[in-house]
Amino acid sequence: MRALIVDDSRAMRRIVGRILEDVGYDVVEAADGQQAIERLEEMDEPLQLACVDWNMPVMDGLTFITEVRKRPEWRAITLMMVTTESEQDRIVRALAAGAHEYLIKPFTGEAMLEKLDLLGLLPTSTGS
Amino acid sequence: MTISSAPDEALVLAAIEQVWGSMLFASAAPWPADRPAEFETGLQAQIELRGDWNGRLVLTCDSVVAGQIAGAMLGLGPEEQLDQPDVHDAVGEVLNVVGGSVKGALPGTSALGLPGVREVTAVPARDESFVVSWGDAPVYVQIVPDAA
Repeated sequence: MRALIVDDSRAMRRIVGRILEDVGYDVVEAADGQQAIERLEEMDEPLQLACVDWNMPVMDGLTFITEVRKRPEWRAITLMMVTTESEQDRIVRALAAGAHEYLIKPFTGEAMLEKLDLLGLLPTSTGS
Repeated sequence: MTISSAPDEALVLAAIEQVWGSMLFASAAPWPADRPAEFETGLQAQIELRGDWNGRLVLTCDSVVAGQIAGAMLGLGPEEQLDQPDVHDAVGEVLNVVGGSVKGALPGTSALGLPGVREVTAVPARDESFVVSWGDAPVYVQIVPDAA
């Protein structure tokens, strides 16, 4: 399975990447929404998951999600917001734009894996 | 601006304690007022809050402490070293998460900026900041409202 991590923090991309790689994902990274769009356009294999920060330069996460949802060829991608934005109205906006799940920073690896499990995106090889 | 929408020391300290505990696997406590808290070269991260209250949160620590914070965030061993851009990035992200927690707890705060990090050669004045502990080292925190 393949995941795209979209976050302007290299440290956060590394943390999320390690969690996902530990359960069997191949990980691709992007530092903002625009770069993430370019990564998706370059991909020749399907992507199952995108973990998306909200506040980023160039293109923020909400705009990225909106752009992804406009493209029928990317309809199968599950979008999970991973962000410091914790207010209810932000969560509602993200879900309305097309996010499937919402994880608030700071989070634990267990919390992220629980979300993946709920989404049916936890590779079965982990035994979870 | 309303007083109730301004972040205070207790709120920011609570956010730091939460982030230290969950991201860095460390505890934070207020630094004793009579204990020296000096260092010569350090890192300063800041992030803006916008809304009913406008201003920024500023976090300043020794360069070595910044490296330790970055290493803890990434789960590195004590012998592993990070490049300076990675240390800046990690400390900025720590403050970003602290800022997000503060923003979420404040009524009428609508936006959080992107963190900025720079090197500094002086610590903030003690009467313009409060100090929390990172292990046995001080970390300065400032709540700076925009100038009127």
